[in-house]
Amino acid sequence: MGAILQTENLCVEYRTRGLRLEIKPALKELNLSVCAGEVFGFLGPNGAGKTTAINVLLGFIPPTSGAAYLFGIDVRRPIARQRIGYLPEMTYYYKFLTAEELLRFYARVFGLSRLEADKRIDQLLKLVELEHARQRLIKTYSKGMQQRIGLAQALINDPDLLILDEPTSGLDPLGRMKVREIIQRLKNEGKTVFFSSHELGEVETVCDRVAIINQGGLKTVGRVGDLMAQHGANLEKVFLDIIGYQPQSVT
Amino acid sequence: MKASPYWILALLIAVCFTLAVTLGLRFGDPAEHPQSNNAFKLLFGEGQKLFANQFYVMADVYFHSGYYPSVFDKQEGQSDVLGAVHGKSDNDEDTTNVDFFGAPTDWINRFGSHFRVNQHTHLDQGAEAQEILPWLKLAADTNPQMIQTYTVAAYWLRKSVRNPKEAEAFLREGLRNNPGNCEILLELGRLYNEDYHDVVRARNVWTVALQRWQAQNDDAKKDNKWLCDEISVNLAYLEESAGNWQQAIRYLEIAKPVSPTPDAIQKQIDEAKRKVTSDK
Amino acid sequence: MNTIRALSGVVIKELYRRKDFYVLFILTALITLVAGMHRFFNDPNIVRYIKDLCMLLVWVSALVIAIATTARQIPVERENRTIFPLLAKPVTRWQMVLGKFMGSWLATGVALLVFYIFFGIATGSREEASKWPVYFQAFWLQWVMLSVVIAITLLGSVVFSAPSANVTICFIVIAGILFFGGHLNVIALRNAEPVQSVIYTIYYLIPHLEWFDLRDRLVHGWGGVSWLDCGLATLYAMAYAWLFLLLTWLVFRRKSL
Repeated sequence: MGAILQTENLCVEYRTRGLRLEIKPALKELNLSVCAGEVFGFLGPNGAGKTTAINVLLGFIPPTSGAAYLFGIDVRRPIARQRIGYLPEMTYYYKFLTAEELLRFYARVFGLSRLEADKRIDQLLKLVELEHARQRLIKTYSKGMQQRIGLAQALINDPDLLILDEPTSGLDPLGRMKVREIIQRLKNEGKTVFFSSHELGEVETVCDRVAIINQGGLKTVGRVGDLMAQHGANLEKVFLDIIGYQPQSVT
Repeated sequence: MKASPYWILALLIAVCFTLAVTLGLRFGDPAEHPQSNNAFKLLFGEGQKLFANQFYVMADVYFHSGYYPSVFDKQEGQSDVLGAVHGKSDNDEDTTNVDFFGAPTDWINRFGSHFRVNQHTHLDQGAEAQEILPWLKLAADTNPQMIQTYTVAAYWLRKSVRNPKEAEAFLREGLRNNPGNCEILLELGRLYNEDYHDVVRARNVWTVALQRWQAQNDDAKKDNKWLCDEISVNLAYLEESAGNWQQAIRYLEIAKPVSPTPDAIQKQIDEAKRKVTSDK
Repeated sequence: MNTIRALSGVVIKELYRRKDFYVLFILTALITLVAGMHRFFNDPNIVRYIKDLCMLLVWVSALVIAIATTARQIPVERENRTIFPLLAKPVTRWQMVLGKFMGSWLATGVALLVFYIFFGIATGSREEASKWPVYFQAFWLQWVMLSVVIAITLLGSVVFSAPSANVTICFIVIAGILFFGGHLNVIALRNAEPVQSVIYTIYYLIPHLEWFDLRDRLVHGWGGVSWLDCGLATLYAMAYAWLFLLLTWLVFRRKSL
């Protein structure tokens, strides 16, 4: 089956504002390919370029050169986002809306009929365990609840590809477990999940393949098991080896 | 025991307030403090007079039912107040034929004129002249020394609203704020004469007005000769009506030097003298 | 269209869940009612000054609601990062601009309608006959004028970084147009070149919002304008609104989020 998500020599450069014009490369010829039905982990230290890559895939920023495709459609076309769901790292939603209103709004954006939207909203609120709070304004929600409503809005259109940016950030262990369960469930349904995370433990548990980037460049990509076997260590050690981390000796 | 910060705050506020009142009473000059309950005076002090002028102009705008030139539309020689507020134009037809705006200069001007009021009317042509009164009242409140607000309002209260009681009350308020003002006394006399038909009171008020006018210095007299003319002529008419020809002649002779039509006054004097002769 | 309708719905919900509209309405109603209780010279038939005062408050309030609501739409979405989950959906930046515009315009229209209903009730109690056609025209033209104001503010919201700066500048520009826009040709004539040409250019370029002010007609009991003029003014306002919306989109599509 063809790649659901693909980048070809993707480059993004930022021009820094100041007296001297400096060009900072955020992504350097990134080539990624994610197949349908797999759970793909996108790893890297802070500032590696993960969020930049996701922003390009979502059409927030244009690439400096290269191309990116979702379902074979150039990401610059809005139709490319018809079948995706996105959970941002920082979960901010309209605080003056209730959970139900927020989901209904996004359902309308996707063109879901009233009946379809009602059914979907009920299912999702049950899935993320926010049924009891569906009529409350989002400004009254805790961080965990906001993360869960974020997940619900990412799933409102029953997407074939889910892009999650640090999905378990700020969640307690119970919350993280629930997110892992949802990801597993989506995988069982044949959905594709592309997520970036710093939680290597859960990446190891749920991901089929991972890519590790550092300083804008792709360092490695492969099956989790294969990488661990190759380096003879757990995923954390593999990650540290690949990014070239040298532990300082304590004297 | 630790004092609650709210108690300390309350205590400080009480101390400050007490100090302010004490010091203010001890060292302050009551004359400096505005005694008025007028919000404009409290907020703006003497600046409220600017509002008075604007309120007076608003009365004129209302008199013209919104047909009024802006500062930019005013033609050369046109005054700020277009003189029809008193409704005393001699030739009303001509006044309402005056076009304040002139011909449109471009398509924007032309199209825009469709939306504004573009018919010159005066409120005295209907029974709606009372609509100008709130602005005159506000003008008087913000500048009690603006005499024309009292006289103009009184005129409309008498002629259009037919409420001489309110007119009298307003004129008396004007007199309280401007003791002995001739213009207000003149209007008050008209009210007694035309509305109450109280000739005695009218005569008394006009007599006082004339005395006040004559007591002014020469410079002030030069500025308002018309007042002397009006007062004297009105007194002369009263005396003529009562058959007191000598008194009437006396008043006409006072009016003659200040009148714009001394020949007409002289004719009246001659007529009165003939009456005196024929009575004898 | 679904997307634009959905976006407008969110803007309308925001307006009636914030306090601004209620505060302004209560203020307008209170001031009008207090003014109405006052009797000048004990005459209960004096009504025009109340209408004038009420209409002035309605105009000021409508401008405040329009500008304040619109100025915060896009900047607050960016600040609160709600723009990301929104644009991650199949929503174009043009749809976002249009959705925000429609929402702000409809929300302002609803607020304006409430104000005019209050105005009708407050003055109808003293007036002998209602003049509904001129009331409707006054409401319609003001609402249509606000579409231009909202479009200008939306453009400002993608040009200026702070909503407060945008609000201030928009108020100054709109007030300038309302007070001086129709007189710039006269002002131009009183100046020498090249200032005269500059002022004339501004005169022909700016939207003449003063056309849409029917307060004098409403207050002083005149009839409405011809329906043809009303229609032409509507088209004029729509043309300017679309122009500013297009400019907004051109700026917004190049802006980083």
